[in-house]
Amino acid sequence: MIQIEGLEKRYGAVQAVQGVSFQAEDGKVTGLLGPNGAGKTTTLRMLSSLVEPDAGRALVDGIDVRRQPREALRRLGLLPDSRGLYPRLTAREHLTYFGGLHGMRRAALERRTAELAELLDMRELLDRRVAGFSQGERTKVAIGRALVHGPHNIVLDEATNGLDVMSTRAMRGVIRSLADSGCCVLFSSHVMQEVSALCDEIVVFARGRVVSVGSPAELRARTGEDNLENAFVKIIGTDVGLE
Amino acid sequence: MIRIIFFKELTDHFRDRRSLLGSLVLPVIGPLLLVGLFQIVENLERERPLDIPVVGAEHAPRLIQDLVANGAHILPAPPDPEELVRKGKADMVLVIDASYAEHYRSAQLARVRLIVDDSRNESHKNVRRVERILLGYTQGLGALRLMARGVAPQAASPLGLEEIDLATPQKLAANLLSMVPLFLMLAALVGGMNLAIDSTAGERERGSLEPLLLNPVSRSSIVIGKWLATSLASTIIALVTLLGFMLTIQYLPLERLGMKVALGPLQAGQILAAILPLTLFGAGLQMLIATFARSFKEAQTYLGLLNLLPMVPAMFLMLGPPPDDWWMLALPTMAQVGVVVRVLRGDLVPGWQLLVIALSSLAYSAICVACLTRLLSRERIVFGR
Repeated sequence: MIQIEGLEKRYGAVQAVQGVSFQAEDGKVTGLLGPNGAGKTTTLRMLSSLVEPDAGRALVDGIDVRRQPREALRRLGLLPDSRGLYPRLTAREHLTYFGGLHGMRRAALERRTAELAELLDMRELLDRRVAGFSQGERTKVAIGRALVHGPHNIVLDEATNGLDVMSTRAMRGVIRSLADSGCCVLFSSHVMQEVSALCDEIVVFARGRVVSVGSPAELRARTGEDNLENAFVKIIGTDVGLE
Repeated sequence: MIRIIFFKELTDHFRDRRSLLGSLVLPVIGPLLLVGLFQIVENLERERPLDIPVVGAEHAPRLIQDLVANGAHILPAPPDPEELVRKGKADMVLVIDASYAEHYRSAQLARVRLIVDDSRNESHKNVRRVERILLGYTQGLGALRLMARGVAPQAASPLGLEEIDLATPQKLAANLLSMVPLFLMLAALVGGMNLAIDSTAGERERGSLEPLLLNPVSRSSIVIGKWLATSLASTIIALVTLLGFMLTIQYLPLERLGMKVALGPLQAGQILAAILPLTLFGAGLQMLIATFARSFKEAQTYLGLLNLLPMVPAMFLMLGPPPDDWWMLALPTMAQVGVVVRVLRGDLVPGWQLLVIALSSLAYSAICVACLTRLLSRERIVFGR
């Protein structure tokens, strides 16, 4: 369970995030939809403790991220905006490194690596060095790395960016199965179709604010549009920065 | 946690063949350069045979006798003496005028000409020898003539000039050995340079810094793990360099040049005691600087400049004796160079001085690590804005 309460962040003259509040519940996929620059990434960085909010707070399973960052991080699996890998390490070594940093023991790590290889369909990638991987293969490793410690709360920032159609479909399956297993999944995107296809609950961002929250059906009803994508455009007021 | 980060950085680094080979250049080149330069010095010192082609030798048999008695080999007259000297095939050619015998007998000025090329350094020594032989011959002859006329020879040469040459081979060799501390310093700094950059500026440029910081690990653990890995990489390169110099110095014909340099385990231990703390500080400082750089390339430029730093004390040493003022012990690189030079000269450095060197370097390292830890909490550093 992730709760965002009144987050604010200003960079110089730009109010990047103003009074953002929402919550993402367990067993659901919550989508953050908004054009590029709407404040999604900044909000997620405040949730991940890397950016200090000017006001407000973020809670992970009731733990204040600012007060107990390491406790909160233990419960979070984060795929951030930048997802660089170490080209000279193998996929398995990436999982081992990050699992180790989460304090996992060798046996647990091996079991978890096998699970993730299955879940993300990356068995044959495991012992190859990352240097020659395709964009989709890299994303799999990055997601595996974020999930290695079996977090209950999963935050994916633009997870399907740069993926081909097949990989995107596979990724949706993974996200769906994580939510179905009881996890809280928070998923940000500027792709309307993706959010429509995946999310149980949608938080619509524009110009640093949350402009609407609701299930797909509620958003359609509120705007009087049959088509969810038309509803988004109506809520945000423009389709600039959306896909 | 520190252990996990330490081992990951080392694994990553040791798979980077290109940068590994790059950092091995120094330990290999240093000793090789020493051997090469030594060979050159030795060749300079080894006396060249004193071969003198002489034109008109038959006019001055006594003079020729005197030259031969002083170690010269008289060669037959070449067809074109000037060409021979200009092309460097002979150090000089002695030309004796046809009128020499007649002028000699009548005590007039008897002309001999020495054709030399003053721009050729390698012939200077022999030319000077021949000039001295000729001068000795003419002074001896003049003295005899004066005595025959009842005049004391001293009256004609008021100065008794004697030259004492101090440019001994030992000196040259000692100057050459002053490159040893320079290379050791460089190795201690350059050895970990790539790791220092890769684990800071590189990590951010690659986009792996943000994911790394999302682990429940303290910033200081991350920094210390990376710092120790960088220090170890530097230490390895410094060790290999020291070993290379130990082997070379053992096999260099230093005794032939009248030098005694002992670089045994005790001496190596003292040098290491001075250099190991420097690798810790060097690693910290390089990481700190690289953290401010916007990219890998930019960091390389900065650190390239930083690595010129040990040149400064090395230059001072070329000019004068090693510093032993106490405050210099707290100056990294200066202190280390001082220790290496003194050890190479056969002195042992007192333990308290080594302790001051170690403690000061450790203190600077701690400052670097503390700064790095704070920097990693800054949004501007983490996200590279």
